Amino acid sequence: MEDSSVNCAEHLGKYFSERDNSSNVILSSDIPAICKTEKCCLGVDEAGRGPVLGPMVYGVAYCPLDKSASLKKLGCADSKVLTEEKREELFGKLCEGKDYVGWSVEVISPNSICNSMLRRQKYSLNQVSHDSAIGLIKKAVDDGVNIAEVFVDTVGPAEKYQEKLSKIFPEFKITVASKADATYPCVSAASICAKVARDRALQVWKFEDGVEKSEDGWGSGYPNDPVTKKFLQKNIDHVFGFPQMVRMSWSTADKILQESAAPVEWEEEEDEASGNTPSISSYFGASKTKKRSTHPYFRERCLKSTVSL
Amino acid sequence: MAIHLNCSVKTVENFPDNQPVIHYMPCEIKSNGPAGVSTYFKPVDNEKDSKFKKASFRGRPLQGEDISLPSGYRGLVVQETKQPLVENVERTMHVSHIFDRLTYWNWDKVPSANDPFISALSWIDISEALHSPIESISD
Repeated sequence: MEDSSVNCAEHLGKYFSERDNSSNVILSSDIPAICKTEKCCLGVDEAGRGPVLGPMVYGVAYCPLDKSASLKKLGCADSKVLTEEKREELFGKLCEGKDYVGWSVEVISPNSICNSMLRRQKYSLNQVSHDSAIGLIKKAVDDGVNIAEVFVDTVGPAEKYQEKLSKIFPEFKITVASKADATYPCVSAASICAKVARDRALQVWKFEDGVEKSEDGWGSGYPNDPVTKKFLQKNIDHVFGFPQMVRMSWSTADKILQESAAPVEWEEEEDEASGNTPSISSYFGASKTKKRSTHPYFRERCLKSTVSL
Repeated sequence: MAIHLNCSVKTVENFPDNQPVIHYMPCEIKSNGPAGVSTYFKPVDNEKDSKFKKASFRGRPLQGEDISLPSGYRGLVVQETKQPLVENVERTMHVSHIFDRLTYWNWDKVPSANDPFISALSWIDISEALHSPIESISD
């Protein structure tokens, strides 16, 4: 992961278009000097959790406690009720307010979301989200932001999430609530940073996998968007499925692959399914069928003698 | 029934400088034919240990390792132009590529001697010790 300074939405786009988008990245503003001395509030929110295309972005924004009103005056509200234009304008204003407000976003690539969700040990999207939020708060602490209060838009049950965060950060006053982005200005600011970063990242997506950009593009990335649907139908590879921009762990994507791509069977899944426990009586009395089996050495290595194909 | 293997001079001459990249996948892909491997499948070094590689297939995380075949052995890619319609007939296959290394992949697990494929390679040495004629030792 690397760090880089950004001053407006255009910078974000330029930055994303120049890097390999298969890995995660954290982008941060400079830290205002005042945020290191005065007590600050920090807001956490995410963008792009539901879509089947592109990255999920986590954002934090912070400012001194008494500057919260100034953030509100800028017009920070729930990023979803603002137009894209308005969000980008506000993001520019947040960057201009660099003497009292700072932010940081983590762009979690679609490929790493799939890889997390499809690990042997299930690692849910909620866990990915929690870990990203925790990582960003830790980073702000390490960078010297004097945090006193943390406001988080919830993922999963709010009480449990609040308990988890309070254990990790006992020194902060933590509030986890649903729709926090509409209530707390610093969460609104975080939500704007995250949403602008997500939109820009998706807009300038560069296909490492050699997919041609079609004229229609790929739409919003939400499964119910007809443009997105068409994009998915048109970009199936018989063997590899979808390009890395698509979250193949999503049921929408998986369903299309099951219908239109080559079936894939994973060895381990079959093995784990057949765990027959022998009945206790089978240990007593002579076994009737004594078939000569191959030595475990060969069985463990899946070696068999073959005379024909 | 007999299986004939045809191997052109060109194939042999191309080896070992021009050998194909072989991936041993932990899954069965029910598809026969060409695949856009170099566009879609892009292994990178594992950041924790550069001995291993990582990649992604159909969204699943894969961990891999480059493996050399036992010395004295070669891997062959063979193609059958005409598949027989009945069993027990002579078959002819053409060697299209020769290789002496491949990348072995596991699903979210670093390759190790616990993997049947890797441990099976050790049978070659054992088999040689068991089956090769015993040389008489002159006093």
